[in-house]
This record gives sequence, C-alpha cells and structure tokens, in this order.
Amino acid sequence: MLKTLTALAALLATGATAQERQLQLYNWGDYTSPDLIAKFEAETGIDVTLTDYDSNDTALAKVQAGGHGFDLVVPSANYVPIWRELGLIQELDLSRLPNHANIAPEWRDVDWDPGRLFTVPWQWGSTGVAVNTSAYSGDINTSDIFLSPPPELVGKINVVPEMNDIISLAIFNVGGEPCTEDLDVLRQVRDLLMAAKPSWLSMDYDSEAKLSANDIMAAATWNGPSMRARLNNPPVRFGYPQEGFPLWMDSVALLSDARNVDEAYEFLDFIMAPENAALISNYARYANGITGSEQYMDEVMRDAPEIVIPEELRGAGVFLPTCPASAVDLYSRIWTELQGS
Amino acid sequence: MRAFDARRLPGFTTVAALAFVFLYLPIATVVVFSFNALPSMSAWGGFSLQWYREAWANEAVQEATVRSLVIATVASLASTALATLAALATVRQGRFRGRTLVYGVINQPLVVPEIVTGVALLIVFGWVRSNTGYQGLGYLLLAHTAFCIPFAYLPIRARLETMDPTLESAASDLYASPMQAFRRVTLPLLGPGIAAGLMLAFVTSLDDVIITEFVKSAGQDTLPTWMLGQFRRTLTPEVNAIATAILALTLVLLTAFFLTTRKRA
Repeated sequence: MLKTLTALAALLATGATAQERQLQLYNWGDYTSPDLIAKFEAETGIDVTLTDYDSNDTALAKVQAGGHGFDLVVPSANYVPIWRELGLIQELDLSRLPNHANIAPEWRDVDWDPGRLFTVPWQWGSTGVAVNTSAYSGDINTSDIFLSPPPELVGKINVVPEMNDIISLAIFNVGGEPCTEDLDVLRQVRDLLMAAKPSWLSMDYDSEAKLSANDIMAAATWNGPSMRARLNNPPVRFGYPQEGFPLWMDSVALLSDARNVDEAYEFLDFIMAPENAALISNYARYANGITGSEQYMDEVMRDAPEIVIPEELRGAGVFLPTCPASAVDLYSRIWTELQGS
Repeated sequence: MRAFDARRLPGFTTVAALAFVFLYLPIATVVVFSFNALPSMSAWGGFSLQWYREAWANEAVQEATVRSLVIATVASLASTALATLAALATVRQGRFRGRTLVYGVINQPLVVPEIVTGVALLIVFGWVRSNTGYQGLGYLLLAHTAFCIPFAYLPIRARLETMDPTLESAASDLYASPMQAFRRVTLPLLGPGIAAGLMLAFVTSLDDVIITEFVKSAGQDTLPTWMLGQFRRTLTPEVNAIATAILALTLVLLTAFFLTTRKRA
C-alpha cells in the first residue's frame, strides 16, 4: 500500500522534482531491453524514463509540438533527414563519445547521416520473406514468394502492412528504382500487387506467431520476427530477395531542446560499448551496427542466417531514401487500392 | 391492422444472431486465447494463467495500470461534478434561449472526432509546456475530464428530466431553504443518475487511446497506449490477458451502471 502511495505521489509530481539525475528516452514500443536500462541505471545512478511511440509520424508530431520533455529519440533512417532539417535534433559532440569509434565501418558513412554526426546506431534489419521450408523447398531468396507465389504457398501468406517496405519490394521485383515516379513501373507494381493479393491469407503484423503455429507458410516480414519464428518452428527460413530488398536502421538522436544533455551523452556512449549493444540485440533480435558486439550476443543470434546476410546477396540490400511527397502520394494510391480490394 | 414491428420482418432472427456473432466472437477469441498455454493466437495448448502472471509481474504494466486508474478516478469524479452542475443548470432552468446550443456545446466531445481533439490539445499543451515547463499528469487529467463530461452528463440529465419538480416545491413549502431542499430532496433522488454518470465516465477515461497518445508527457503511458506500443512486433498473449482484464473491469462497471439506472418495479 505504501508503495502504491509513493508511486502515486511520484506520478503527480513528475517534472516538479529534479535533484535526481534523469534521462527521458522516447523509443518504439517493445524495443528497449529492460536489462540494458537496469544496467545503465546501476552504473550511472541516472533514472531512465521510457516512453513508447508506435510510428515515426507520432514521434515527429509530438516533438514538433514542443514542450515534450524528451532527451533522446530513435527515428528510422528515412526520417533522420526530416528531423535534422526541422532543427529538432542537434549535432553530437564526438569528443564526448569515445565509443563512437566502435561504430562498424559500413554504418559510419550512411546516406542519411554522413560521418554519424547526428545519430548513433540502435538496431538495423532487412525486410524480406520468411518461408516454412517444410511446405516449399524451392529458392526462397526472391520476392516472388509473395508477389507471384508458388502453388504450395497460395493462401498461406501473411504480408506486413507497411507501405514503404511492400511497395519497395514490388518496385524492385519489376526492376524499378527506389522512390521511382515512373508511371509504367508503378502500373506494373500495382498490377503485380493486385494479382498477388488473392493468394495472401492476411495483412497484419503478426507473422511471428502465425509462422510459429503453422497458420501460414510464408510471410513478407522483417528478419526479427522471422528469426523468432524459427526458434519456435525450426523449418522457418528467412529469404533475402535477390531482386532487391529494403534495409532499415533506427538510430538514436539527441533532441535540440533536451534538458538532460550530460545524461544523454552518457547513454549514447554506453550503448556503443559492444557488451551493451549486444543487450539491445538480445532483446529485439536485430543486429546493432557496433563492432565486436557479436561475441556478447546470445548464442542463437551470433551466426543467425537472419542476421548475417549471405555475401552474394549483400548487394541487393537497399536503404530506402526519403522519397519526395509526389512519389509517396502515388504509392499511397496503390496502397489504398490494395488494402481496399 | 397490426402496428409495424421490426421483429416480424423476414430474417430478423438471422440478422440479429449474425450481428451478435460479429460483435462478440472477436472479443471471445481474445478472452479464450488469453488462457492459452501456447504463445499462439490459433493453436490451443491447454489452460494456463501464465500470461496473467507475466503481465502482473511486468513493471511497465504495473505502472501503466496505476496511472490509468488514477487518471480515470480523478477525471470521472471531476467530470461528474461538473456534469451534475451543468444538468441542474440546463434542466431546472426550464426552456431558455440557446438551450439547444448549450446542449451541443456540452456534448461536443461526442461529435468532434477524437483525432481532431487530440491534435488540437497537442498544439495547445505543447505551447503551455514550452512556456511553463510543467510536465506532470495535469494535462492528461484535464483532457480526460473534458471528454468525459458528456458521458457523465447524459444519464444525470435523463434522471433529472424524469424527476417530479413538485417534490422540490413541496420541500420549499415546508420551509426548507434552497440548499436544504437540494441536499435532502434533489440530490438523493438524483443519486442513481450521478452514480451511473460516474461509472460511464470512468470507463470512458480508462479506454481512451487517441487523445491520451497525443497528450501524454514523457513516461506517462496508460494501459491502452502501452498496449498500442506492443503491436508493432507481435501480438503476445500477455496483451490478450491485459485486454481481458480491462474488459472484465468495464463489464463490472457497466453492469453496475445498468443496475443503478434500471427502473424500479
């Protein structure tokens, strides 16, 4: 009872008392390892408050409105330039981040943040296909798995309802470029998706449970759910479409109006230490972009085929740039038609 | 000639049965699978309370639950007090110019889409936050109180409209002061309406997602917004367990609402 009362008092007083060192982390839901936070709090004495968001747009809208009280936010790669152009995130003082040197070379000079002056890696992954190989034994490194499905998989496919990921996979499938506004290409994309949709069972986020339970035999999804499904159901494999597949990365940025700047720097440096980055990966089952973190990861993660992209398919991975509004508008129209059909 | 009766239309029973199936089957699925021993939404692996235990032990769930209950309690008490005053003012006054307009203004949260209110509050509170630095629970309490008012107001007004005004006149004739008449006659008669309004407001606050998502400050996830954050990765049976618990609480309160507003025999 006393504990509840104290919690109540603390609730009402939020923001009023600030002698204790604190940090406000604003991150995707179900994405932050509780072990990571506990370790950071124990080592630094900083009290971390975690708040969830469910989309890049929600996070952007709340921070733009001002007075949000957050210190760190974790936008996706294609949103980082937007945050920067709006002046919502600040350039990092690299002299305060000795662990910055741990960022793996391929994640240092990225298009959305050359030299990593604004963001540090959180997690990255791929969008591809997951296939239960007991139902289909052909080549799975192709987006035809859900766009022109083999007969064995028809009616047993779930597609994640993420417009950018799915439209991009279809654009790559017909040989188009990311952010294309070529109407001929987009007409093919539209026809391909509309023709494929009757072979899908569902369009939702829950591929992991459905693959685990053999409710579906294939999915267009991220590598994380695919791996977690394999741990429950061994024949599930992740395919990297050779026609091209989206890569994504969420990175941590320091907000321009952060109030706990010192604490934020401590946290940023902390998560770039390999043993701590591994905690992030162990929780959500995605790779993190920090050199040397592999050795601290759970054994099932270390050489997981969902984490380590095969050499010959690496070139097919594409970071989706921030598409112009005119392109997004075209994609939205295809997407609306697809979802409504 | 018999009067028109929807129950005599052809296919009435079938349509009614289908409507109930569509309404309740998804909810029943959530409830059933919250007791599943397997982490699956389709395969049944036996009865288990595992997900309830996990949800109960989850610190984020505990904090969100306490926060949801605090907000719902404060918001329902405040909105019911305001709604009672509003009902007395609008009904006891008799007809007056602009009464329909006043009804409309009071019931505004019922007609304005939540997303509009959410965005509007985000902008206004963002401005207040920037200028005062206050990050406490006050914003959520204010917002919830505001949109709960019509839910408390409607049952109270309905009760007031069917109350016999001559009882108050009788009290006055017997030398009761206006305050005495209110406390000894009006308020006790209004009691069931107030109780019903309170419960309806409580449930409305407890269930809210959209406005809360926009208004919450750092670290202020309520149970529904926390659940929303979980959906991106996978639907866990833990979320089913929480949903079932919220549903149970809502049902208890709505049953109480029904019992208090039911016509006495």
